[in-house]
Amino acid sequence: MLDLLWLVPALPLLGFLALFATEGKLPDKLVAVIGAGTVGIAALVALFAGREFLQSGEPSFSLSLWTWIAVADFQPSITLYLDALSLVMMGVITGVGFLIHLYATGYMWKDHQEPASYSRFFAYMNLFVFAMLMLVLGDNLLVLFLGWEGVGLCSYLLIGFYHRDAANGYAARKAFVVTRVGDTAFALGLFLLFRELGSLEIQQALAASSALTPCMATAICLLLLGGAVGKSAQVPLQTWLPDAMAGPTPVSALIHAATMVTAGVYLIARMQDLYLLSANAQHYVAVVGLATLLIASFTALTQRDIKRILAYSTMSQIGYMFMALGVGAWSAAIFHLMTHAFFKALLFLASGSVILALHHEQDIFKMGGLWKKLPVPFWSMAIGSGALVALPFVTSGFYSKDAILLTAYDTSGWLYWGGGVLAAGLTALYTTRMMVITFFGDAKTEPHEDSRINMWLPLAVLGVLSIVGGWFGIGVLDELLGGLGDFSHASPVAVVTMAVPLLGILLGVLVFSGRIDVAGFVESKAGDALRRFFDSGWAFDWLYERVFVKPFLWLARVNKGDVVDLIYTLTKSITRGLHHTGALTQTGRLRWYAANMAIGLIVVLLLAAGWL
Amino acid sequence: MAISVPVEHVLYVAALLFLMGLAGVLARRNVMFLLMSLEVMMNAAGLAFIAAGAKWGQPDGQIMFMLILALAAAEVAVALGLVLQLSRRYGTLDVDSASELSG
Amino acid sequence: MTTDLVLFWVPALVALIATLMVITRKNASRALIYLVVSLLAVAVIFFVLGAPFAAALEVVVYAGAIVVLFLFVVMMLNLGRSSVLRETRWLQPGMWAFPFILVFVLAIVMFNVFAGSGDETKGQEVGPKAVGAELFGPYLLAVELAGFLLLAALVGAYHLGRRYLEERREEAG
Repeated sequence: MLDLLWLVPALPLLGFLALFATEGKLPDKLVAVIGAGTVGIAALVALFAGREFLQSGEPSFSLSLWTWIAVADFQPSITLYLDALSLVMMGVITGVGFLIHLYATGYMWKDHQEPASYSRFFAYMNLFVFAMLMLVLGDNLLVLFLGWEGVGLCSYLLIGFYHRDAANGYAARKAFVVTRVGDTAFALGLFLLFRELGSLEIQQALAASSALTPCMATAICLLLLGGAVGKSAQVPLQTWLPDAMAGPTPVSALIHAATMVTAGVYLIARMQDLYLLSANAQHYVAVVGLATLLIASFTALTQRDIKRILAYSTMSQIGYMFMALGVGAWSAAIFHLMTHAFFKALLFLASGSVILALHHEQDIFKMGGLWKKLPVPFWSMAIGSGALVALPFVTSGFYSKDAILLTAYDTSGWLYWGGGVLAAGLTALYTTRMMVITFFGDAKTEPHEDSRINMWLPLAVLGVLSIVGGWFGIGVLDELLGGLGDFSHASPVAVVTMAVPLLGILLGVLVFSGRIDVAGFVESKAGDALRRFFDSGWAFDWLYERVFVKPFLWLARVNKGDVVDLIYTLTKSITRGLHHTGALTQTGRLRWYAANMAIGLIVVLLLAAGWL
Repeated sequence: MAISVPVEHVLYVAALLFLMGLAGVLARRNVMFLLMSLEVMMNAAGLAFIAAGAKWGQPDGQIMFMLILALAAAEVAVALGLVLQLSRRYGTLDVDSASELSG
Repeated sequence: MTTDLVLFWVPALVALIATLMVITRKNASRALIYLVVSLLAVAVIFFVLGAPFAAALEVVVYAGAIVVLFLFVVMMLNLGRSSVLRETRWLQPGMWAFPFILVFVLAIVMFNVFAGSGDETKGQEVGPKAVGAELFGPYLLAVELAGFLLLAALVGAYHLGRRYLEERREEAG
């Protein structure tokens, strides 16, 4: 079965090609079968391959397919590499990916804004799954980069899926351009790595990395971090993620929550040995994580759009993962990546059901009182929120977040732990706010329950995973990666870590159900300013608009005539002038030519006689 | 029979013939006279070659003259064909009328 | 020496005067007759310079063939009195000014280049035998090339001279 590992990326690619080549001429039911089916079979293959891999007990397995290019010493191979890290990633991508595809067959069913959009949607989604699998399975940084850019492309295509609305196109371009900034850094890092080590094969490069000077190692690590920051929407390249919610909700669930945005985490975890060479770079990873964590948590407190709340919570959860990578809790980061994929996919899909039931209403203040009318989404949301908040012992999020925070306390002291705990409290606060306002209180819009089996089944499965995923993580991942299971929950630090989210929930319930009146503060001048500051995502968009976009547009406007081009225009003008001058001599009159020849003869004779 | 004269005298005559031909080429608009002037110029060149041959007493000058002769024959044949075309197409013998190649 | 000079300069003057007449005539037929005179005079020069074969060719090919070809064309074009009038109109005295200046400058340059060598011609006849031996010896390639040239001229003259070229165009137009 392990030899069939190549089927895992090949099947979604096949699905993409089939849907792409038929240009939407297939009936929708067949499209659904192809779109979800290929990913489903890939998930099954991945499951069996993973089981066999675990039984074999080998630390890694690689399957060489072919050599991509052969240029002298540079011979990147297309090799699939399976170890604990890529196994987890592969499982999340195919498993969660399949559930989201299944859900999408229902969610997108009546979404016929234009012909063939159903088929187009699944073509992009399958292409995304293929690219993501190449990203995590590739044993070569070049293959990884291929997948990396591939998922970027699919992200762009799917954010702008409803391209009739210009705002969606803008969001897609923003995501593409902002991540490109990071990708440029990533590419530079790869160049540097290749120059220093002469190979982009990950395992070879890591094995040889001890030969790097500390300075060079730091440079490479920081450049790779730049790529990871862009892709994973961390500070300072985080601004694209909230706008990326313009895409259909399953896209947000799959790409902008569960898988693609965690690619940065995967990259850093994969290049772990390199980061161990540079304490500085590792420190920056942690700082980036912590900063994102806090900024995103505060921002999520004030958002009105349910998908934007979830987007900011995604940013903050990935911030946890970065922080974990930075403080050396590699396995905890991957663990959290996995549980986050479960519960964040669940949250997005459940919110998608709510949005669909309310005729594409996304403002939580126009919802309310839905918990009885929409039981499936409500309980799914409740479970997902529980995991997000990390309710002690019963949810998966608790185990992974706990592993991160306690490791951070052990290795790096109280600063990262404190920041993480504060953010955990904020997470509890904004999650409670979202739940209370959305599902309780007075009903403001009448929902229409439209829940088919292909929509509630994924919710149910993900709900179960959000709960039991933690125990699976402790059980299986600890064995594979180590460093997850031996936490005592009795120490004071652990108790505080557990208690803060509970306090956050309590505070949230009291505030947002109106028991504690904060209207006085909110309506005060300072409160309003603070609210607007948080609401704008700490004004990063405003800042970038002033610092980058406006000057660039100004420069473009000033330089409309293209100053550099003037040189070439000048060349052109001179050439044309010479040409016109030369053409003047072409009178077409035979005797004029003869006279010129005579003059030439005079000159030649004078030269021959030595008089000139 | 052969005479002995200064070579430069012969060359003066050749130059004068050549220049008269050139003046004809430049001044005449009628293509027939233009071609005749051209013949005069080539003939003058032939004379110069003969003079050179006579100076050294070698046959090479005469051979060059014969090559010029062949050239002149070929040139006249083609040029007179062109004259016929010019006369038919433009109804005139004015060389300046055929100035479509002007830049 | 004096006899030799007379023998040279008499035909030379005839050639120069005849040539002057060629380029100034208004009637094409008369100009051609003067051209024949000029060519014959040059042939005499060739002869006295010791090139009897070249002189014979000058008479046969130039005066005989080429000038006759010109005459044929003149007859085909049927140039009559009207063409003489037109020629008078075209040939204003002012037309000669620029060519004269150019030619004058060239004459000064050429005469200065030619003058002062003091060399004399050898006064030795080079007969047809010597010319033939040389022509088909070292100059064989030149002869072949001249043959090519004449063939090309033949084809070109045939093509250009065809009357139906324009008739076909008229049909198409």
